[in-house]
Amino acid sequence: MFRFDRRLIHYFDWVMLLLLILISSMALANLFSSTWSGGPAASPIFYKQLYVTLVGLALIILLLGFDYKELETLGFVLYGAVILLLIYAAFSVHTVAGTQRWINLGFMRLQPSEPAKLVMVIVLASYFSHREIGEGFRLRDIIKPGLLTALPFGLILIQPDLGTALMIAVIYGSMILFVKLRWTTIAVLGTLGASGAFVFWKYLLKDYQRRRIETFLNPEGDPMNQGYQIMQSKIAVGSGQVFGKGFMEGTQGHLHFLPERHTDFAFSVWAEEWGFAGSVFFLGCYFFMLLWGMNIALSARDKFGVLLAFGLVMLIFWQAVINLLMIMGFLPVVGIPLPLFSYGGSSLLTTLICIGLLMNIRMRRYQVKG
Amino acid sequence: MKNIRKRRSRKEKQPLPPVLEAPDAQLTLITPRDDAELDFLKKRALISSIALISFFAILVARLWYLQIQEGETYASLADNNRVRYVEIAPPRGNIFDSLGKEVVTNRPSFNVVLSREDNRLDDELLKKVAAVLDVDISTLLDRIRKMSDTPGHIPIRLAEDIVWEKVALIENNRLELPGIRIEVVPLRVYHYGNYASHLIGYLGEINKEQLDAAEPGIYRGGDLVGKMGLENLYEPVLRGEKGKEYMEVNALGFEQKYLKGIEPLPGADLHLTVNMELQQAAEEIMARDDKAGAVVAVEVNSGRVLAAASSPQLKLDEFIGGISTKAWQALLDDPRHPLINKVVQGQYPPASTYKIVTALAGLGERVISPDSIIFCPGHYRFGNRTYRCWKRGGHGAVNLERALSESCDVYFYQVGQRLGVDRLAEYARRLGLGKKTGVDMEHEKSGLIPTAEWKKKRFNVPWQDGETLSVAIGQGFVLATPIQVCMMTAALANGGTLYRPALIETIRDPDGHVLEQFEPEVLERFVGQGQNMRLVRAGLIEAVNGKRGTGRPARLDNITVAGKTGTAQVVRLKQYQHLKEEDIPYQYRDHAWFTCFAPAENPEIAVTVLVEHGLHGSSGAGPIARAVLEAYFADRL
Repeated sequence: MFRFDRRLIHYFDWVMLLLLILISSMALANLFSSTWSGGPAASPIFYKQLYVTLVGLALIILLLGFDYKELETLGFVLYGAVILLLIYAAFSVHTVAGTQRWINLGFMRLQPSEPAKLVMVIVLASYFSHREIGEGFRLRDIIKPGLLTALPFGLILIQPDLGTALMIAVIYGSMILFVKLRWTTIAVLGTLGASGAFVFWKYLLKDYQRRRIETFLNPEGDPMNQGYQIMQSKIAVGSGQVFGKGFMEGTQGHLHFLPERHTDFAFSVWAEEWGFAGSVFFLGCYFFMLLWGMNIALSARDKFGVLLAFGLVMLIFWQAVINLLMIMGFLPVVGIPLPLFSYGGSSLLTTLICIGLLMNIRMRRYQVKG
Repeated sequence: MKNIRKRRSRKEKQPLPPVLEAPDAQLTLITPRDDAELDFLKKRALISSIALISFFAILVARLWYLQIQEGETYASLADNNRVRYVEIAPPRGNIFDSLGKEVVTNRPSFNVVLSREDNRLDDELLKKVAAVLDVDISTLLDRIRKMSDTPGHIPIRLAEDIVWEKVALIENNRLELPGIRIEVVPLRVYHYGNYASHLIGYLGEINKEQLDAAEPGIYRGGDLVGKMGLENLYEPVLRGEKGKEYMEVNALGFEQKYLKGIEPLPGADLHLTVNMELQQAAEEIMARDDKAGAVVAVEVNSGRVLAAASSPQLKLDEFIGGISTKAWQALLDDPRHPLINKVVQGQYPPASTYKIVTALAGLGERVISPDSIIFCPGHYRFGNRTYRCWKRGGHGAVNLERALSESCDVYFYQVGQRLGVDRLAEYARRLGLGKKTGVDMEHEKSGLIPTAEWKKKRFNVPWQDGETLSVAIGQGFVLATPIQVCMMTAALANGGTLYRPALIETIRDPDGHVLEQFEPEVLERFVGQGQNMRLVRAGLIEAVNGKRGTGRPARLDNITVAGKTGTAQVVRLKQYQHLKEEDIPYQYRDHAWFTCFAPAENPEIAVTVLVEHGLHGSSGAGPIARAVLEAYFADRL
């Protein structure tokens, strides 16, 4: 299993590590501000995140020792484990805000839906890397990966965690589009998707989930709840203006006008305190990291590497885009964090593993002989 | 698991990719395999990068719109979110009497409030509070329940105006009573209770009309404003200016930080011309036997009102916090009309007090001389009617002095007949009758001085000469308010200067600096009537001091009082004429007047008394005037 070569150090991905440290520092500074409640000490939440960040960085180093290639087969074992965790989470429960998302592992409470997303990327990359693309995939070619996706999707949906369930679906969609579909398949899928969405809306969504989307479409109808959150977020972002109100000086966050200000709305706090300049700097770093991830896909040595790198970038990208569009008032509140930036141990750990895997692919872009 | 095994076996069948030599021989790297599908996927990854960049562009454009284009709008929205200003009520101006005694002031009252900042209700805490306040816990829970719909940052008032001992108890146990605070609110104190209630008025919650009428920003709903009397008339002076405190608040509305503040400006103080001792004496004597009526005392040479009592008193505590419909109806139904300030709102026939006017007009128009003798047989026949004198047996031959002192009606019938109604009205008007005096009291009535023109306009009927006879003795259409009669008396006493009655001596700022100082205001000056006035005054001196004078009940030993009685007929009904006075129903009894001034040689004070349904001016009103004079001259008797 261990195929470590000291020469791999020559190909270590310093760019990614630098970007990771930069973004994590901004995230921690922002968390310090958004959770500070007066007094000399930072909040325990800050220390918890700092601790998870350090653990995650150590985990990355450890993971670099493995060849990502091992995941091609190991992915299916992980898939089985995650499904078991999701079943367990659905029936033995630790409820947070009325949903069943947590499993207490003793040392930390794990949200199994977070690693589920990562495992889905690995499994799908592995599946498609063994299929010949040819003229593009037919409907029957994507049914099997579709079923593989539907199982965790359903289990996460009943928790209920609409945001993460949608992410699983979005990853599946990105992957099949990436590997090329036939036009006829796209047309059939489009029709199926539209009717599926209708059934989904009508019968499967819980009331509060439907309300979230309805409020988004008509924010004034519900100013005190969902619409209120979006409105306060827009006020926070907009009032930052060019250079922001200054670190720890944001009123929207510190005076609790912003809901979920250290989790889903963390970037609102950043935009308020650092303004347009700070926000563009952050987004620049963030998207450079994503583009660097795409570059890793471009330089990967095999199909699995390309697919895996693409999937990992997409996993981070879609969460980030949905979160940011929500914060800026383009999307309803769906409860998707900004990876690396929002508070939350499971999400952070998963994202750090994603970055670690990308670095792993980068390092092994050349096959070492022997 | 089956699937996985299957796929594994398939993988083993695939040929291994060709291994290429890297340029660096030492590292012996293998370059990416030449694979069309790999290239295809990499092309797609490149396209995806472009998609990523376009999303970045969308996000930056949105940030530009929110933070730069609309940034100022959102910045002000954020400010409005976080800043709340709290108004600080200014202490209202105090009211003092002419001797500087406190009449109305403020005192701090202590309320117990529960802050809901902790957002939880602790039974233990409520039990402790209930024990300290000595109330049942259910009363506290009731108050909390009533406030449950209000925003959480508004504290709940658990008890109002608690005693100092309990304040101390709560303050000493602060640590055990988290969330419980003492709130200090100024409360109006009326040092003389219900005395001068019509004059001073009361405070009440501002109503919608007042709120709409006021300049914006001065009041808010729930503010206390003057509702009656001086509290109402001098509202702009007394209220002061509100202070403001800007507080930073969080999303739940709880105060986080003090930002800035503007101190409130206390209201100015009123120093009255009224002497509360005299006022109290007047009201006390009116309250004896539950009399309804008015007592006015003014300073003869300035128009300063020394006392202005309307009986019965208003019970101010009924009005604080809004009067109940039932209590209001009771006030309306009371035959003694406590709601009416009879000093300015009560209009009565001036009766014989009006003979002062008739006498001055007669002398002034030279239709009589002081020595003219008129014979009174007890009645006077005019046209086909007989006009009676109050003294059935008649006064015999009377001159002016006797006519005034014994109040001979026949004498004045003839003077009136000689004058005619319009010439009489001219003198009445110059003595301030028939028009408002302009005193600082609300809803003043103007009284009525009839003229021929007035009657034509009002009833479209020509004036009958017989009516002049009634007017000459202050009956018929003539109506006057007690304050008018008092000001007329003062004008007679001072030799012909009619003053505007005044209630305010000075208005002072809270540091005692005088902002406004009272100056006597002359409404009318009678010139060339000095001698005639002396003659009328002599008649009034005789009325009080002469053996047969009608005003004898008002006589004092050391001070010469000059006065005139009046008995105003309410109805003339045959059925009551032969009844004993005590048997006539209250509402049909005559009103009693007495108006006087003293000392006669050098007048200082004029006092007018009206007792509704008091039967006789002499016996009904005279003793009251005497009591007021006794109170005024207490140290000289």
